[in-house]
Amino acid sequence: MKTTRIKNLLVAMTAATALGTATSGYAEEPIKIGGLYILSGSAATYGEFAQKGIDLAVEEINGSGGILGRDIEMIYEDTQGKASVAIQAARKLVYSEGVDALVGLDSSGVAQGMVPTMPELQKPLIITHAATPDVTGKLCNAFTYRISVNVAQNMKAAAMVAAETDATNWTTIGPDYAFGHQSWEFFGNYLKETKPDVNLMSETNFPRFGAEDFTPFIDRVMDSDADGVLISVWGGDLVNFIRQANNRGFFEKDMELMFTVGAATEVLTALGDEMPEGVHLSTRYWYEAYDNDINDRFVKAYIDAYGNPPSYNAEGAYAAIYAYKQAMEAAGTTDGPAVAKALSGMTMEAPNGTVTFRKGDNQAMVSPNWGVSGPMHPEHGIRTLTNLQIFDGEEVARTVEETGCKL
Amino acid sequence: MKSKILMAILALVIAGLIAVPWIASYFYVFIFTEILILGLFAASFNLIFGYTGMLSFGHAAFFGVGSYATALVLIHLQWPFLACLLVSMGASALLALVIGFLSVRLNEVYFAMLTLAFGMMVFAIAYQWRSVTNGSDGLAGFSLGSFGLGLDLTLGNPSVYYHVVLGIVAIASIVLYVICRSSFGMILKAIRQNPERVSFAGLNVRTYRLVAFVIAGTFAGLAGGLIAPFLRVASPELLHWSMSAEPVLMAILGGTGYFLGPFVGSAVFVLLETWITSFTESWMLVLGIILALMVIFFRKGLLGTLIDWWMEVKK
Repeated sequence: MKTTRIKNLLVAMTAATALGTATSGYAEEPIKIGGLYILSGSAATYGEFAQKGIDLAVEEINGSGGILGRDIEMIYEDTQGKASVAIQAARKLVYSEGVDALVGLDSSGVAQGMVPTMPELQKPLIITHAATPDVTGKLCNAFTYRISVNVAQNMKAAAMVAAETDATNWTTIGPDYAFGHQSWEFFGNYLKETKPDVNLMSETNFPRFGAEDFTPFIDRVMDSDADGVLISVWGGDLVNFIRQANNRGFFEKDMELMFTVGAATEVLTALGDEMPEGVHLSTRYWYEAYDNDINDRFVKAYIDAYGNPPSYNAEGAYAAIYAYKQAMEAAGTTDGPAVAKALSGMTMEAPNGTVTFRKGDNQAMVSPNWGVSGPMHPEHGIRTLTNLQIFDGEEVARTVEETGCKL
Repeated sequence: MKSKILMAILALVIAGLIAVPWIASYFYVFIFTEILILGLFAASFNLIFGYTGMLSFGHAAFFGVGSYATALVLIHLQWPFLACLLVSMGASALLALVIGFLSVRLNEVYFAMLTLAFGMMVFAIAYQWRSVTNGSDGLAGFSLGSFGLGLDLTLGNPSVYYHVVLGIVAIASIVLYVICRSSFGMILKAIRQNPERVSFAGLNVRTYRLVAFVIAGTFAGLAGGLIAPFLRVASPELLHWSMSAEPVLMAILGGTGYFLGPFVGSAVFVLLETWITSFTESWMLVLGIILALMVIFFRKGLLGTLIDWWMEVKK
């Protein structure tokens, strides 16, 4: 009887040791992060640049011990820029692939649809591009964070730039979805506040996202009295727009032109010297705007790896992976709710300086960049930005009360 | 004997469907929810296509309007889920009555073109009317309330929602099946085979076609009402003509001659899409090849070919 007991004890101990090894073996499993980007269609370059930024971060982190001793493995899904596709893709990543966290989203429309479903998935999402204020505003939740500049921040800065110009009659050309409409709405409100005598024209132009032909809208603006135009067309659409605008002599007319995402290097690379000089261009991150070690290292590594300078989308995606590293290490786990909690109020060093996810709405306090297109860069083959203005992240952000977010 | 075996297989499939949340991985709960909803959509389409012989290219109008109706009611009125579905069915039935009234008088390609045109008109309205439909972004951000009938169900839980969908699709399918097997359904079949002869028999072909069109639209609206809470968004894509093509493809894939054909087509369509997109972006190319082979070699669709083969060989 006694011997059996000892035997049982021995068996139990062996089992325990075996289990112990099993758990530590389990810890070697990679941490999976799901990436949701537009990987097809006219905005596919954005997804591609985001992947490049992420690949760089993953390579660096895996090369120096990983997160909590585990490697990162990325799994990507194409959102096609559609909310319903993105929601299904997120479910697939979480429930089928078993990802621990999500990054991505290029489109505001997609973000508005997907963000309300995040609490069901119980995994954190860091938005690296989509800019609608709603997802860190009235649709906010404890699982959704944004590391990139939102429309409200960028349009506050845009209004400050616009107020400095002589233009008084403003109109817009923007994509016909949340982003285009909200850009104009926020820009108009902020500009009216600072300069009440400006006229916001009722005649606005919203071509379909992915439209091939912008000439009717270009002609309409040229025929109007507008002397200031806010242009929020982006991606492949913007490339087409600029080429068609060049052909129509749009840039010879005396107007203040403000491109809200015109200094995306995806677009500048595609256009080269077709991008005109002397127009206002904005970006959520300009690679020459930040003088710090992390940025120097990031820009150098990026150019070494891919041959062209990083875009804001690459930077946001790159920084998001580091944000997860820091949050997972602070939480000591990859458990979804714990990581989401660790992100709240977290401060990190990113290529665009010190970034804090504000506690009240989970929006990162990051700085929009505005400049004026200048001569071609001798090495990078894209327009340079002159009169570069780096706005203070806190200053251009709405207050938490204004966002309408209740966390 | 053989029909008994078929019934047993059907019972097994239904039992399997009920058990999905317990036996399959969580992800497949979503896949099967989608299969059931699109299956109902395709089955409603098959009432006018397979049974009555009318090829509509605008069936997504009713599906999409159903999804918008549920989304709008959930956003503005927060009615119980069953009430939302009734609103969806009502809205789609009304729309089907209007579009059907104007379309069923025409035949063949003219009917197809007219339904396509009306479908795109509905799409354009949803796309442009930003203040109500939120334009190209569609309606999102609505939360699911109660189910209705005093039942305490957490619709936000995907497994619960799956069972709700399974129950509703099963009931709707039985109703559709009864309609198909009724004398009314027989007349629809007769219209497909020989409309002149039916009208010589003293029946008003146009009225029968209109009634079939409205019934099909109503059930497509029900499917739409189920898809909006599942996708969490009612977007213009659900109304687009490419969405109208899906039930056509599913019906042909599964087989238009059998009532369950469209459901089999839906299952094959969704599963293939899920698996193939994991390997390659060019899922449409693969689908195209499969469809071409089906139409050339297996006119009766997967289910039709299988059942016929089995009836033939194992006599």
